[in-house]
Amino acid sequence: MSRALGAWMLCAFAGVAQAQVSPEALDWLRRIYLATERLSYTGTFVYQQGDRTETSRIARRAEPAGSVEKLEVLDGSPREVVRTRDEIRCYLPASQTVKVDRRRDQRSFPALLPAQVATLGEHYDISMDETGRIAGYECQAIVLAPRDALRYGYKLWADVQTGMLLKARAFNRNGETVEQFTFTQLEIGPVPRERVRPRVVARTWRIEQAAVSPANLAQAGWTMSADLPGFRKVIEITRMLRDAQPVGQVVYSDGLAAVSIFIEPLAGRAETPQMGLASMGAVNVYTREVANHLVTVVGEAPAASVQRIGNTVAYRPTQ
Amino acid sequence: MKARISAMMDGELAAHELEEPLSAIASDREARESWRTYHLISDALRGDAILSASCARRVSQRLAQEPALIAPLPGAVRAPERPRWFVPSALAASIAAVAFVGWVALAPQRGSAPAIVPAPLAQAPQAQRAAEPPRVPVTSATQDYLFAHQAFSPRNSLQGMAPYVRTVADETVQRKK
Repeated sequence: MSRALGAWMLCAFAGVAQAQVSPEALDWLRRIYLATERLSYTGTFVYQQGDRTETSRIARRAEPAGSVEKLEVLDGSPREVVRTRDEIRCYLPASQTVKVDRRRDQRSFPALLPAQVATLGEHYDISMDETGRIAGYECQAIVLAPRDALRYGYKLWADVQTGMLLKARAFNRNGETVEQFTFTQLEIGPVPRERVRPRVVARTWRIEQAAVSPANLAQAGWTMSADLPGFRKVIEITRMLRDAQPVGQVVYSDGLAAVSIFIEPLAGRAETPQMGLASMGAVNVYTREVANHLVTVVGEAPAASVQRIGNTVAYRPTQ
Repeated sequence: MKARISAMMDGELAAHELEEPLSAIASDREARESWRTYHLISDALRGDAILSASCARRVSQRLAQEPALIAPLPGAVRAPERPRWFVPSALAASIAAVAFVGWVALAPQRGSAPAIVPAPLAQAPQAQRAAEPPRVPVTSATQDYLFAHQAFSPRNSLQGMAPYVRTVADETVQRKK
C-alpha cells in the first residue's frame, strides 16, 4: 500500500505519466546499490565496446574501515586500478606511470544514493524485464529506457539472491548496444587482502597526482550550462592533469549518466590537439577551442548531448 | 589637434611629438573620432574600405573574448612563468590603446593566417557551432580525461570498479594506430 502511494507521489511530483516507473524495479536498483556497497567478491568480466573486447579480473574486499577494490585487465599490457577509501590509483606499465586521484571526502565523489534512485524516474522509464542465468547466477533484468534521445538506455541483470550486478548493457535510441559488461565468473564471499593489492612494483614509476581543489570558474569569466533537461551541476573543481597542467572541471549528471567539462589553456602546449568528436562505447568526447583554451567534454551520453553541453561553454572577461 | 593627428598618420611627427596626439586619442572622444575618420578616408582612397569601418570595434570585441592572462601574445618575450590559473589580469589600459595595438594583437594566433582578417571575426564561433564536428581518434590524452571523469560517474554506485576499465585502454595497442 505505502509502496503504491510512494509511486503515485513520485509520478505526481515528477509530472510524468503513471505506470512508467515500476516500484519493484526501483527496489531492485536499491538492492544493486547495496550489493555494490557491501559485498566482497572476486570475478572475471568481459567489457565489449565497438570492436574492443577485453577481459578483466575484479576483486572487492569489504572492510569496516573502508573497502578496497582492484581491477586488473587481463588482455594486453597488465593495467591495474586500485581503489581504497581515500584514493584511486591507476597503474600503467607500458608508460610506467601511476595516476593518482585522491578523494578528499566521500561527498566529493557523488554516488547514486538509494534516496536518489526515485528521481531517475523523471527521465527514464524503469521496468522489470526477463529473468535468466548469467555466470551461473539466476538474474533479474531491469530496464531503464530514456524518455528522450539525450541519454542512453540501460539494461541491468542482478543476482536474485544478493542483488550483485552480473551484466550491464548500454543502448542507444535504436536499441543498439553501445557498451556491455558481463561477468563470466563470479565468487561472492570473503576476499583475502593480497587479492586487492597492486601486483606491480611501481616504486620508480612516474606519479601523476590529480591534486583536486574546489573552483569557481564563473568568477574567472567562464559560463556554461548543462543545457539538457534533468542534468544538474554536481561539482566544480580544478585538478592537475598529465604534466602538472591545471585544468578546470565541471561535472553534470542526471543521476545515472555524467558529463564532465574540462577547461585548460592552449598556450604552451607542445602540440595542438585535434578538435572534434571521439567515441568509445557509451562515452563520447567532444573537444573545441574557446578563447584560446581547450574545452574537452567527456560523458556517458550520446554524441549530440555531449556536443550540446560543450557548445554552452563561453568566456567573457571579468572586469 | 586634428591637424596633429593627421600629421601623425602621415608620419610627419617626430618621436617626441607623438605623445600629445596619442593621449588625445586615448582621452578625447572627438580626437578619437577624427582618428577613425582619417583612417577611413585613407583606406577608401587606397580602395581598402572594408577594413576601417568597424575594425576597432571588432578588434575590441575579439580582444574582449580573449582571456587576458593565459593567452599571451605570440612571441611575447616575457620569461615563461607558470600562469596563475583562472585569474584574469586587468584588461589593456584603454580602448584607444587596444585599437592602436589591435593590428598587432590580431596577428595570427597560430601560424599561417594573414595578419589582418576582415569580415567574419565576430561570427566565427557561431558558425563553428552549427557545423558537425569532425571525427577524431581516441588518444592517450583522452584516457586522462576519462580517468578524471570516471570518479564522478553515478554508475560506479551500481557497478563498482568495472567502468574503470574504460580509462585504461591498452597503451601499447594505441601507439600502433
